[in-house]
Amino acid sequence: MGAAAPSPDEIFGQGIQAAGDKDWDKALSLMEQALAADPNNLRYGSEYRQAVVSRAIALHRKEGTPQDFERSLNYFEKLVKDNPNAENAWLNYGFAYVDKIPAAGSITQVILANTALTQFSKSIALKPTWIALYTRGNSYLYWPRIFGRAGLGVADLEKAFAMQKAEPKKSYHVRVYTSLGDGYWKTDNIEKAQAVWNEGLKQFPDNQGLKDRLSKQGDDLGAYIDNALDPNKRVDTNLKELWTSR
Amino acid sequence: MSQFRQRQWGLVGLIAGPIALLAWNGVVAQIRYAEIGAQAGLNAVHHTRRFSGPHGDVLRMFTSGGASAAVGDYDNDGLDDIFVTDSDAGKPNHLYHNDGHMKFTDVAARAGVAGGNDAKSIVSDAIWFDYDNDGRQDLLVARFGTPILYHNEGHGKFRDVTAGSGFNKFGNTIAAIAFDYDNDGLLDVMFGNYFKPENLFDLKTFFVLPNDLDNAVNGGGVTLWKNLGGGRFVETTEKAGFGKHTGWTLDLGHGDFDNDGWQDVYLACDYGTDRIFFNNHDGTFRDATEKAIGFDTKKGMNVDVADYDNDGWLDIYVTNITDEYMKECNMLWHNNRDGTFTDVSKETGTCSTLWGWAAKFGDFDNDGWQDLFVVNGLRSAGKENYIPVVVNLITKPGVDFSDIRNWPDIGNMTWSGYQKKKMFRNQAGQDFREISAEAGVDNDKDGRGIAMGDFDNDGLLDFVQTNADQPALFYHAVTTGAGNWVQFRLTGTKSNRDAIGARIRLTAGGLTQIREIDGGNGYAGQSMRRAHFGIGKAQKAEAVEIRWPSGQVEKLGSVTANSVNHVVEGKGLVP
Repeated sequence: MGAAAPSPDEIFGQGIQAAGDKDWDKALSLMEQALAADPNNLRYGSEYRQAVVSRAIALHRKEGTPQDFERSLNYFEKLVKDNPNAENAWLNYGFAYVDKIPAAGSITQVILANTALTQFSKSIALKPTWIALYTRGNSYLYWPRIFGRAGLGVADLEKAFAMQKAEPKKSYHVRVYTSLGDGYWKTDNIEKAQAVWNEGLKQFPDNQGLKDRLSKQGDDLGAYIDNALDPNKRVDTNLKELWTSR
Repeated sequence: MSQFRQRQWGLVGLIAGPIALLAWNGVVAQIRYAEIGAQAGLNAVHHTRRFSGPHGDVLRMFTSGGASAAVGDYDNDGLDDIFVTDSDAGKPNHLYHNDGHMKFTDVAARAGVAGGNDAKSIVSDAIWFDYDNDGRQDLLVARFGTPILYHNEGHGKFRDVTAGSGFNKFGNTIAAIAFDYDNDGLLDVMFGNYFKPENLFDLKTFFVLPNDLDNAVNGGGVTLWKNLGGGRFVETTEKAGFGKHTGWTLDLGHGDFDNDGWQDVYLACDYGTDRIFFNNHDGTFRDATEKAIGFDTKKGMNVDVADYDNDGWLDIYVTNITDEYMKECNMLWHNNRDGTFTDVSKETGTCSTLWGWAAKFGDFDNDGWQDLFVVNGLRSAGKENYIPVVVNLITKPGVDFSDIRNWPDIGNMTWSGYQKKKMFRNQAGQDFREISAEAGVDNDKDGRGIAMGDFDNDGLLDFVQTNADQPALFYHAVTTGAGNWVQFRLTGTKSNRDAIGARIRLTAGGLTQIREIDGGNGYAGQSMRRAHFGIGKAQKAEAVEIRWPSGQVEKLGSVTANSVNHVVEGKGLVP
């Protein structure tokens, strides 16, 4: 009787080890194997994407090249095709587009951001989870005001807000306080913005982002939020806080 | 970024606040401009070309860049004249003769240079250059079509000599420069071409627009033409190493970027990467883009070249699009002195000028540090905005951007319109402070070109700002408290007579500056050939050295302040 085949967790662990050793091809292959065996595993997908980002930055200048992200996009495309009901695979597929944005030109960034929204929407249609609603809602806020998408973002973030109020407090809940306030600000509702930031600060009194927002007004606040929502900056799409939060 | 640069920028953060309040080189100037186009008789209205047919509106939008101005003293009377282009069918170009006292008369028709906007051609740019070294400025008119070369016959008359010149190749040209790339004493010509060479008036294919909006490779590239003498030019694009460039070139700039005495070239490209080529000294160039600046995805619009920090190495300024919906940032390429450049636009405060077009360096307050003027704005029209319409196109899955049928008409919509122009004061080479409103240049026209000159010879730099579908603006410098200055008019003998490519190194008041004579740097504009130096409170330039394109280096004695000096190669200062 031969040795038992390694479990997805074991394969994934080997992938993490290889990524730590900067053996990128091995790392990505192992993580893809793990994901194929457990396509809806949010953590596998997230760590896989982080390895792709780390590889791109390690091998190329600045944020990598657009080509650096083709492998993960192709992989997720196939993964959701093979597993159309895996809401977390769709979510990670959308994040893979977001990961590519800083490496792309300004027009391509628009295309990538829009395509990411499409994948997030498919995830929400399958299962409207807190993370999916927060993610899509926050993504809408990166669009300039002229496109009128901030209102859509507020709608998603209000749903995520209601969800988290019904749950035990988690460290990542501060994100919705921040983003929902930003959404209110972006839809010219400054009083509601300050109210939700204040409420968030009561829950998370050490949060610097909330303190900064509440300490600023007018153009200073606008510049601060514009800077926070600068599409040229890499968005941290690492989801590990979801499983490490207490 | 080199350790040197990191150290320097570290210091900026410490001193930027208080230093903004100080005067440079003893100069406490109030930079001010008065717009005097109407009084001066220089207020030509530009008209973009109107196309017939179902895609005419889109073609008009994509060809709306042809408002340009070129400064040159065509009659050698010591006063710079101005050629201003128009673009719509049948509309005349303008040759504004400088009558003195800031009065101008349009003599284009009499001179024989008003034409060019025929049914098959759109005038887009123009440059003055003395191609036959006869001492008179000739005129090259670039077009979406074939160019027109006018020989200056003297007595205010020009003769169309295109037929015998060799300039017979069709191109959708948007920019032209004249420079002597092989240092043979004859000025050569490079054309920057936007579209590939398709006749836009008789489309044989619908796929004429950029195939990618960040990395397009289906543009017109450039063509290089070697001056053979005798009024004849021959194309050397492939031989010189430019044949592989197929980008959407919007502007060209030349300069000796590596201080080897040979002219190098920077190409600003829309919809994709700019390119930099270094001169191999044998009639060929090498594409050094990857190492020197890296590949970008921006919408390059302008190339101007100057040593903004007076370190003896030429830097490059490129405008891009930085607007509410697109945050590209301009590029101020600081020369690292090793064949590479570092973009310091953010650190210097020159990153955002909205939808940028032309930009020109010049010492506007004569403090010894070159300031910067940038024009911007694409289309100021009705309240409806074209951007959401474009984004619907862009985000449509599988759309082919190159297919003109996919682009919606713009109609009366505005696209990055009503933008305030940007003037920046150079703060001792460390950074720049925006002074547009206080300088009186924060107009909101749809700017395209800048042509700079000292049209009244008062030692202050004036401007023409061309605008698409709007009147040109003529800014007369009325700055108070400006520093002293010196200007040099160079005449080559072994070198090309215009001395394009000559470098002047001047020391005054403890500050050493360089200028290079250029043949049309800056989008849609050619500025005065004379080299202008501000020298602050200094009463003279203590040392002046000229490196001619021939390689000869000539040292002059001291030069008194506030003077225009004529230098002939090999003869030094002449009366």
